[in-house]
Amino acid sequence: MNAVKSNPFHFKVGLFAAASLLLIGLFLVYLLHARGFFEHTYRLKLAAASADGVAPGVPLVFSGIEIGRVASLGLNDNGGIVINVELLERNARWLKQNSSFTLDKPFVGGAKIRVDTPDLKAPPLPDNSTMLLLSADISKEIPVLVDRVKTILDNIDHLTRKDGELNATLANVKTLTGNMTGEYGMLEGVLGSPEKARAVTDSLDKTRALLSKLDGLALKMDGMAVKADTWLFSQDGVATQTRASLQQIRALLDDAQSSLKKADAMMTNAVAISADVREGTQDIARLRAEIDEAVRRANALVNEINKKWPFARDPEVKLP
Amino acid sequence: MNFFAATLESLGAKLVGWFDVGYGMFAFLARALMLLLDPATWNRATFDVVIKQVYFTAVQILHVFLGYALVISWLIITIILSTAREFGLTEFATEMAIRVLVLELLPFLTALFIALRSGSAINTEVALMRVNNELDALDHCKVPPMQFEFLPRLIGGVVSVVTLATLAGLVALLLAYLSIYGMSMAGFEAFTRTVAKIFDFRIVAGLAMKCALFGLAVTLIPVTAGLETPKKLFMVPVSVLRGMMRVFFAIVAIEVMSLALKYI
Repeated sequence: MNAVKSNPFHFKVGLFAAASLLLIGLFLVYLLHARGFFEHTYRLKLAAASADGVAPGVPLVFSGIEIGRVASLGLNDNGGIVINVELLERNARWLKQNSSFTLDKPFVGGAKIRVDTPDLKAPPLPDNSTMLLLSADISKEIPVLVDRVKTILDNIDHLTRKDGELNATLANVKTLTGNMTGEYGMLEGVLGSPEKARAVTDSLDKTRALLSKLDGLALKMDGMAVKADTWLFSQDGVATQTRASLQQIRALLDDAQSSLKKADAMMTNAVAISADVREGTQDIARLRAEIDEAVRRANALVNEINKKWPFARDPEVKLP
Repeated sequence: MNFFAATLESLGAKLVGWFDVGYGMFAFLARALMLLLDPATWNRATFDVVIKQVYFTAVQILHVFLGYALVISWLIITIILSTAREFGLTEFATEMAIRVLVLELLPFLTALFIALRSGSAINTEVALMRVNNELDALDHCKVPPMQFEFLPRLIGGVVSVVTLATLAGLVALLLAYLSIYGMSMAGFEAFTRTVAKIFDFRIVAGLAMKCALFGLAVTLIPVTAGLETPKKLFMVPVSVLRGMMRVFFAIVAIEVMSLALKYI
């Protein structure tokens, strides 16, 4: 089996070998560049109170990106901890003289040294400088956190105890909503009991009845006025006076009627539309005032009539 | 009791058989290495045979192999990336893809590829040469088979597996970069950092060593299995079968060993 010399054969293998070697060489150069072989290694010393959790290989992290690693750690002559960190020259530009170094020990994952540089325009940190390593140990903050949570829980306990404010408030709210679901709805909720609510509606009913009575009275008086006209003779005697009085009475009646209408509308509004308790309360108060006013005017009217013609039996209108 | 003794005997026979095979293999390897160190071996004729072997084992299948590596890499990278995104672990996706593909999967698949294609062919060829007494004839003509037949095959195997695995790894690296960062240089620095983190000296040396061992396994074992063949034609398939089984076990053993050395 002697080797047969053939040119394309050798050429292909040569090409393959050359290309492969070239690629491998390029990759090795790239790898050496990536690992910082062509760069100066920047060294940093960190002084720490405790080396707990720090070991060679712990990363130095800037903005979440690893820029270096702990190379070694040991004690200095005074018994202090000195941590030697190595990083590539190109990564050293993130270290400034105002940078702070914090040891982070999260619950999950390994420890890391965090670099915070508040001002990137600050003068750069020289090689081989010594900085202080702060510790942000979450496990040390836990007792404080637990104490605070305990206080909060105590407060909540105090609020929710059996005779506590919260329970009383809730009971009040329960009574209120219970009343609101009663026969007289929100009116009952606002006024406190069905009796009081009924009183309001009753007074409204009575006012309506009174109004119709007054209407009837007015008609009667109209008739009487005509009769009086015929009965009374003199042109400027009682009759004229009476007419003037009657006009006054009608005006008063109109006034009373409009007040009552207003009260009626207000009542509808309060019961049907207003869902807000406070607004409802205001409406009820106004309604009450209107009703009082209407009744007062009606009373005054009846008194007036009484003065002129003492025919009414029951001049008093009573407000329930 | 009889049965027990028989079981023990068969176990002992098997162990002795394995030992014989292993011893034969390493003795053969030692002879090959001695020859390799002998300056007289390196003449033009040997060199030509080595080149021929490299051509048949690596260059001839380069395009098929690279296409295959491309498809496998693309698949694995896509799976890793989509899974990592789903679980919010994107920052580890690059490292994971490179570790899985370049360090483990591609060298392993390269070894299997070469074993299937060249290993089985070498085993058959050596077994047939032995059955047909060609090896004795060569020896008789002062053409030592070790120098002109076996050593070039071993060298070809090692060179091929190392080169092909490296090329496939480079393809996978390029593909991983393109899959993660697209056609831009934006992620170059982050990617370089990841590459620097993964490929320290130990890893690169271990990878090269592993590939070389793979290359040796897929050629040395078939050659020794072929040489063991009894001089009967019907024993040739049995020899190939045994040889390929051994190659498979050797590849798995090397892979397990490298993983154990790396992570334990």
